[in-house]
Amino acid sequence: MRLSVAFAVIYFISLSPVFADTTASTIAKQIPATESPLASKSLLLDISPIGKNKLVAVGQHGHILVSSDGNKWRQANVPVQVTLTSVFFLNEELGWAVGHDSTILHSQDGGLNWQVQQYLPLLEKPLFDVYFKDSQQGIAVGAYGQVFRTLDGGNTWKSEFHQEFLLADDVEYLNEVKAEDEAAYLDEIAFILPHFNGLVQDGHSLFLLGETGLLAKSDDFGITWQQFDAFYQGSFFSLARTKAGNVLVAGLRGHVYRSDKRSSQWNEISTDTTALLNDIVFANDQRIFILGNNGMLLVSTDDGESFSKRPQQDGKTLIAGVWFKGKLIAVSDVGIKVIDLAQ
Amino acid sequence: MKISLANRIEVGLFRHKILVLMLFIITSAFFLFQATQIRLDASFTKNIPLNHSYMKTYLKHRANFGGANNILISVCDSDGDIFNADFFNALKGVHDKLFFIPGVDRIQVKSLFSPNTRFVEVVEDGFAGGPVIPADFQPTEAGLAIVKGNIEKAGIVGSIVADDYSCAMVKAALLEFNPDTGEKLDTLEIAEKLEQEVRQEYEHNNISVHIIGFAKMVGDVAEGAKGVVLFFALAIAITAVMVYIFSHSIRLTILPILCSLVAVVWQMGMLSSLGFGLDPMSILIPFLVFAIGVSHGVQMINSVVKKVASGLTPASAAQASFRALLIPGGVALLSDTVGFLTLLSIDIGIIKELAITASIGVAMIILTNLVLLPVLLSFTNIKVNAKVGQLSEQSAVWSFMAGFASKGPARVILLVTAILFVVGFYKGQGLKIGELHAGAPALHESSRYNQDTFLITDRYAISVDYMSVIIETNANACTYYDTMSTIDRFQWQMENIPGVQSAVSLASISKIVNAGYNEGNPKWRVIPRNQQTLVQSIARVPSSSGLLNSDCSVMPVILFLEDHKADTINTVIEAVKATANELGSEQVQFKLASGPVGVMAATNEAVEEAQLPMMLYVYGAVIALCLISFRSIRATLVVVLPLYVVSTLAQWLMTALDIGLTVSTLPVIALGVGIGVDYGIYILSTMSIKLKEGLNVHDAYLEALKERGSAVLITGLTLAIGVSTWFFSDLKFQVDMGILLTFMFLVNMLAAIIVLPALSAFLWPTKGHDKK
Repeated sequence: MRLSVAFAVIYFISLSPVFADTTASTIAKQIPATESPLASKSLLLDISPIGKNKLVAVGQHGHILVSSDGNKWRQANVPVQVTLTSVFFLNEELGWAVGHDSTILHSQDGGLNWQVQQYLPLLEKPLFDVYFKDSQQGIAVGAYGQVFRTLDGGNTWKSEFHQEFLLADDVEYLNEVKAEDEAAYLDEIAFILPHFNGLVQDGHSLFLLGETGLLAKSDDFGITWQQFDAFYQGSFFSLARTKAGNVLVAGLRGHVYRSDKRSSQWNEISTDTTALLNDIVFANDQRIFILGNNGMLLVSTDDGESFSKRPQQDGKTLIAGVWFKGKLIAVSDVGIKVIDLAQ
Repeated sequence: MKISLANRIEVGLFRHKILVLMLFIITSAFFLFQATQIRLDASFTKNIPLNHSYMKTYLKHRANFGGANNILISVCDSDGDIFNADFFNALKGVHDKLFFIPGVDRIQVKSLFSPNTRFVEVVEDGFAGGPVIPADFQPTEAGLAIVKGNIEKAGIVGSIVADDYSCAMVKAALLEFNPDTGEKLDTLEIAEKLEQEVRQEYEHNNISVHIIGFAKMVGDVAEGAKGVVLFFALAIAITAVMVYIFSHSIRLTILPILCSLVAVVWQMGMLSSLGFGLDPMSILIPFLVFAIGVSHGVQMINSVVKKVASGLTPASAAQASFRALLIPGGVALLSDTVGFLTLLSIDIGIIKELAITASIGVAMIILTNLVLLPVLLSFTNIKVNAKVGQLSEQSAVWSFMAGFASKGPARVILLVTAILFVVGFYKGQGLKIGELHAGAPALHESSRYNQDTFLITDRYAISVDYMSVIIETNANACTYYDTMSTIDRFQWQMENIPGVQSAVSLASISKIVNAGYNEGNPKWRVIPRNQQTLVQSIARVPSSSGLLNSDCSVMPVILFLEDHKADTINTVIEAVKATANELGSEQVQFKLASGPVGVMAATNEAVEEAQLPMMLYVYGAVIALCLISFRSIRATLVVVLPLYVVSTLAQWLMTALDIGLTVSTLPVIALGVGIGVDYGIYILSTMSIKLKEGLNVHDAYLEALKERGSAVLITGLTLAIGVSTWFFSDLKFQVDMGILLTFMFLVNMLAAIIVLPALSAFLWPTKGHDKK
């Protein structure tokens, strides 16, 4: 185990000035999403199960759609039109969705009606993932190393600055700036961290993956992170533990790495594609799918030791997927795609 | 006084008939020369309502966004895919040929071979890219494999390469002026070059070349219009047979036809002298002039022969006929002319031109057939053939028809007419404004041009039916999130309107580019709120993309529609107006419209707006002329009412045959009314004299039939035959016009001999019976 344990220095930055600013100017007017016939046929960015029998998908223009069969989708009441990037449901009722303008939305009725918990357009940054371990404690991550945490079910969200993801040079530089000018320091830290692309719960641990080969693990729900030694300099977008207990991580330009549960070694798996890989999905049989840009679909039947290509003819970007009632239900730049992958 | 004026003209004319004849010959020679100088003339702006608000927007921004004047050439390989040496040689040939045609904007020629067709791919440390066809390209298996890979990376499948890799596209825009000569671009010459130098040269074996675009369409229309010469000859031949059957005299057949041809020559000569060209749209007018001329000529010979038969010398018979027909013929022709002139009220260049062409032609007929023809007839030595006018004496037919003017049958006739009118009125409400069929509306669906259009829209993600909504805002507006996100919202709402297939704007491109700058991650497919990032996302979009002007104060949202049917256009236009109201502001104004469908929308609206005033004017003119010539409200009613019923039935016919009200069919309604009134006027002019003499309606009508019946029948048939040859035209709009005019001419004739007397039976009832 060659984990480098970094200092877990967390700064709680007061967000009150940001909230004050948002009440002014045009940014204050939030426009509710409109019901659109094409909502399920246009850019959707994430899909998740709600309990066992329902699905929820989120995407552009504040679209949130729920379905109980994967074919018929009903548009939810959403108070904003921002592009939503991720959705998570803790149980059949409680769910959260995040997106651009550091927006966090919450639903208490299984995804039919949503309220704004956070909307910070002045930050000019998107959130990319959200995870709750119970109805009170949750964490949302996004671009430029954003981390927001709540301890009260999302009534209040606090920003965290995870300095441990800074490069050594940057730490030194920031200390100098901070000593001279607090304002300049706050400007600098706003965009200095790498993008955090995803959070993956793995037993009692949490994985964080992101830009420049960022891969880290936390055993204290994200208070401290242990970074893995860099083995790839591109971005990671998806991570999952297979049924056999090995870990797969997928990212930019067709890169897939696999870590055997018995060793900490990350082995590159040949995929023969340069498509960006967005999501790893498990079928209820032995198959593992990796969804990618431009219709790329990779299939493994040997627990991720090898993948073969099953590119989709229409070349649409497959962004996220779930295995639902024997079919792969994916979201893409043309909305919901039900892909029949009978063996 | 009036009579003395007509008399003086008459006496003067016939006294100096040699002089008159000489004058006609000299004038004809002059106009014949002028007519040979006439050129075929087609221009884009003539076809659109320039003063319509949409078109003002279109013209204002045409310089920035080009008009709709593009050329698309799809080179296809019927043997599977394009990746073979033969195909690439042909494609390169087409690209180079197009590049060197004068008038093509060389900067905008785009195909696989243009240097600005590049691919960009995301790699770990940024971007990598290059031209899709490398500088060292060889059409070998290896070289073609590289190109195939680059095509996929460049994301040009659907635009430059067909979805199924069976074709590749060469696109170009046309300039307004020929850069070599500095003269206005000759669209027809470009079309000729495209056909000869591009298609003929490169279409062989398994390689086919498909060309679409306004210039090519006009070229094909002009080509189709040339077939008109054949139809003209055919119309003359059939008409000659008809007139011969009527007159049983070769001389009497030749004279009215000759006079009508003189009218056509004068018309063309005068047009040419006035500096007009002959548009493919109005090329049918000479037919109409010819047919109208012959129909009036027939009335004239009918009258002369009758008078000769009654014992007059040909000379005095001609003179008497001139006197008898000057008023009804003059009134009828004047109402034709007025009918055409009402078309001037429509603000579309081509309809105005048609109005001028047609009214000049009809005015010429007054001279040639009401003056020249009797003068010529007075020289002839007409032998009264016993058979001539035989029909006139066949009182069996005429007395049967005269029955229409008795109350019993009249009641039935009027009831049937009323039912037809009600049904026609009800069904006619379904009349659609605009084009109802896919493809270029001027041409048949089976024409090469439309087949090429279907092929291209089928194999590429391209629609030729698009409309641009122009967003007018402040300078540098594209660097502001608020403006761009408003455009984005507008575009999204439009995409959701039925009939809109897809849409593109700088806003939607900015989202894709932004994702591209972020490793191609679709979660970044948003308009960046950060201004620097927003600038970065649009910086590489050139103004030649047609998505912004140089300072991005003007940006269109281009809506690709499923088709250009009237319903589709209306739905979209209404949605645009509603959404523009909702999202528009002082700073961000959404303006209709550009693009081919924008032009169609404006044209449809102009046509729709013009319909009612045009009908009011043409009926107003007909009513006024009837009132003046008959000085009787009853007489006016019996002429105009059947006319109106026929107009209504024509609308029903259009609805039933799926013919929309368009730039080409709208004038037909005015022409139909203007010409259709002739029959009624001829019949009633005799009838009203007889009624005044004290005959009852039945007898007056019988007299009118004896005098004019056969001539009216022949007139209706001649006119109908003249225009029915258009059924065989290569041009769809000529076919539509032909069907409608044939219907109007025939049915107006029937109405004049059936409905008119029936109405008369009720309008002059007691008086007739009292006298009897």
